Formats: sequence, C-alpha cells, structure tokens
Amino acid sequence: MSAKGKPFFLWRHLNKLRWLTLATVFSMLVLLPFLHVYQTYVAAHAYDLLAPQEKELYDTMETLTSPLVSDPAEDLDAIKGNTWSGNIFGLKLSDPLAAIGQMAAGRNLYTPFLLTALIPVLFSVLFGRFYCGWICPASFLYELNSNLAILLRRMGLHTGHRHLDKRFKYLVLAAGLVFSMVTGSIAVAAIYPPAVVGRELYYAIALGGFGAGSVFFVATLLFDLLVAQRGFCRYLCPGGALYSLLGRYRLLRIQRIVGNCNDCAKCNAVCEFGLDPLRDGFGQECNNCTACIAVCPTDALTFEIKLKDVGYQGPGHLGKRYQREHQATQGTEKAA
Amino acid sequence: MIQRRTVLQRLMYTLGLAVSSTLPYGFARLMTPDVKADPRTHLRPPGALKDEAAFNSACIGCGLCGEVCPPRCIKFYQREGGDRFNTPYIDPEQKACILCNKCMEVCPTEALTVTPRNDIDMGIAQIDRSACYPWVDRGICGACVSICPLGERAIGFKYWNQYKPVVKKECVGCGLCVEVCPHPSLPIRIVKRSEGTVTHHKL
Repeated sequence: MSAKGKPFFLWRHLNKLRWLTLATVFSMLVLLPFLHVYQTYVAAHAYDLLAPQEKELYDTMETLTSPLVSDPAEDLDAIKGNTWSGNIFGLKLSDPLAAIGQMAAGRNLYTPFLLTALIPVLFSVLFGRFYCGWICPASFLYELNSNLAILLRRMGLHTGHRHLDKRFKYLVLAAGLVFSMVTGSIAVAAIYPPAVVGRELYYAIALGGFGAGSVFFVATLLFDLLVAQRGFCRYLCPGGALYSLLGRYRLLRIQRIVGNCNDCAKCNAVCEFGLDPLRDGFGQECNNCTACIAVCPTDALTFEIKLKDVGYQGPGHLGKRYQREHQATQGTEKAA
Repeated sequence: MIQRRTVLQRLMYTLGLAVSSTLPYGFARLMTPDVKADPRTHLRPPGALKDEAAFNSACIGCGLCGEVCPPRCIKFYQREGGDRFNTPYIDPEQKACILCNKCMEVCPTEALTVTPRNDIDMGIAQIDRSACYPWVDRGICGACVSICPLGERAIGFKYWNQYKPVVKKECVGCGLCVEVCPHPSLPIRIVKRSEGTVTHHKL
C-alpha cells in the first residue's frame, strides 16, 4: 500500500522553473553578443560615427545595462562565453566534453582547464543528466521543436517515431574522441549542439552571419522532426552520452510511488526522452527534467535520494489492473 | 531466420539513403568556389601556441577570445579552414589587434597563453620597398609609424624626416600598420618571423 505520502508540493512546479532556466540561458546567449558589440562601441569612443542602427543598439544596451554597471567596456566582461566554456563573475566553467575532447586531441593534461570542468562534473555525478534538461541551449530549441511536432501531428502530418538503439550515442562519443585523437583537432565540438548553438549565435550577431555549424543544427532539428522525437539527444549526442555515463550512479532520482499510481501512462507520453516512468524505467538517460512529475494527476512521482533505480514495482495501486488482481487474491483468501 | 530478400532490401534501402543524403553534399562541394584560407594574411591572436597542430588541439572553439576582443578583430575559421575549423584568426587587413591582452586572459585552455607584450610573436611586419609610397618617392606618409603601439622600438624612419618606414626586430606583428596603410596593394604585411627580412636591412 502507499507507505509514502504525497511528494513535496513544489516539485510539480519545477518544470516551469526548468523552462525558465532554459529560456534564461538561451536569451543570455543571444544577449551576450549584443552586449559585446555594445562594449566595442563604448571602447571606441565614437558614438557620433555610428550608423543609425548601431546607435539604436547602443542606446538599447545602455538602457539595459546602465543600472548594473558603471564602466560598460570593462564591467560587462563579468559574464562572457557560452555553455561550452564561459566565465561568470570570475568563475570559469567548461563543459566536461570540452575537457575530455581537449585531453584526447592534445594528448596532455592541462590542469587549469580541466579544473574548469570540475563543478559541472560534480553536479552531473549528483544530478545525472540535468544539463540536458535544465541548461543546454540546444535543448531549449529541441523541446520547442518537439512541441512543433505535436502541432504538425494535430494538423495531420506525420512526424518520425522511430526507435533506434540508445547505446549508439556512446559509440558516437568514443568515435569522436578517437577521431579527435587522430586528427588533433577537437572533432566533438563540431557535432555537439549546445557548443554549435552558442558559437553560431555569436557568429550571427557579432560577426555578421551564421557559420557552417548552423547547417548542422538545422539538420539535427529535421532529424528530430522526421526520424525520432528528440532523436539527436537520445541517440547521437556525444555530450549526452558523457553526461549519461557520469550520471549513471546519480544521487537524485525520480521514482514512482506505486501506491499513488493509477497506470494512466501520461508520464510515458510526456517524457521527451522516451523513457518508461510507468514501469519504473528511468535509467541513466533520465535528465531529471520533472515533466513527468508535473503531468502526474495522482502525485505518484517524486524525487528520491538513491544510487540505483528500484525495479518494476508492479501495477499502480489506484489502477484497475492492480485492484482486480488484489481483490481476486483477497477473495481467494476469504474463500480459504 | 531472415530472408535473403529482406536483407538485400534493407541493404539497398540503406545504400539508397546514404547515397541520396551524400549526393547533395557532393554537389554542394563541387559547386562552391574553392576558398582557401590565406595563411600569409591570417594571423593567430597574440600569445597563441607557436605550433599550429598544438594550437588546433588546444583550442576548444568556444569563441571567448572573440567575445572579449574590444576592436572585434578576432574571427573564426569556417569550413575553408579545414582542421582549423572554429579556431580564431585575425585578418589585419580588415581589423587589427590592439594588444590589449584580453583574449589571452580569457582563454580557458593553453591555446592563448598570457604573454608579456614584448614577447608576443604574431609575426613581423614586412615592407615591400618597391611599392610603399615614400620608398618609391611618391610622397610622404608615415601612417604605419604613427599607429604602431610599440612606437620607435618596432618601426621607424630610415633617416630622420624622410618617411621611409623601416621595421625593427622588436615588432610583434599586431598588424595595425597593415590596417592603416593607405596604399591599395598594402605594401606592408605581416609575415612569419623567420620569413622577415628585417635583419638584412640597416637603418
């Protein structure tokens, strides 16, 4: 029976917070290049020589930032970069994939750089693939893309629902690292969507045009639409593979409270990564995105601090199947 | 037991998919003009590792150097760069480095290491004396000398007040002289230090 009560009430609202962080990270990636351009205008001391559009940008950015900084040309350096590698108020952070890719390509250990990946690695060990669900700027676009897929399906168009082998992404990661080792340039950076998105946004805004990576990114969007929902993240992303491995024995897990579950399978329907919360099938791919917690009508999903998933706990106790079987067994007990 | 027919069908299907997906790429490659990056005019940012292969393996392509550059002179190789894809370069003909050190300080890897200004080696300026206006007696100029951030140490005039610029060994190759040069064919350019002919000239 339901030994555990209801989950903490705020957890079903975490999904909104998640969308907020995703949107914030993405909008920062858009804003930072504009801020950089503004900084260069300030540093040049030539407001009068700017074109009307440039003046407009200057004024907008000045309005946005003037309450926060006194010397824009210097102070706005506080937040720089993207999720691949960046600085936040003096704290340098890098993607673990960047650290590993650089290790493979350079075949050396450059400790100052590896240390920048330490905090993300620690967080991944504790929270699993949370980066994919909570921070990744490409995830933001991919989730919007899968919403678009739902819209297209409502309009009667077919979108892809193929099931591939989810272990394929580990192969991509290994092949990418071997390729980096052989060529000596960091190959995984070219096929890792968040790095591509961060770079391309900067190229597009500050350097006057999208680069070659945007073609790749559009291709991944089409792959998600036409082949498999969130297909790139689930089957191909090298960074996702790395985060999955790091988060294999994560501490924070989503778990089903079998006593509250009524087998409605809304969690399975809403899971972006095609996991199976209904049958306790989370595994290392779960990115703790909490969409299943938010959608659950009977508060049957909650966070647990555990190193391993529990196995299949059987049908939910509020579901018809369990009650039928349960009553049947009770009936036989009474009869005996 | 899988039928031979289904195996062949799947094989043909996979092959067809592979061919149909690579063909457009092949056509695109054939139709695009062959743009080769010109290593003579493209400089690495200051403090870059000397060995090109070492630089390519150290640079993770995060673009931070470009994002802090005040004159926005740092650009990034695209497809034409080959294995230098997404690594930074400076084209001094468009916009030159002002030696502000910001890119070296922000670089998370050792690709750009913090270097004192005098030890920076992006190359060395080389003047074509058969084209430079003062050298061919087509008037006075001295733009390169007046813009040089290192001043008299890096570039000076051959004789006092004759406006014939002469590069000195202290030049770090920032390329501001190239950016400012008014001559349409840019008789001053940055070459590798080993290719420079500074040592052959006498002031």
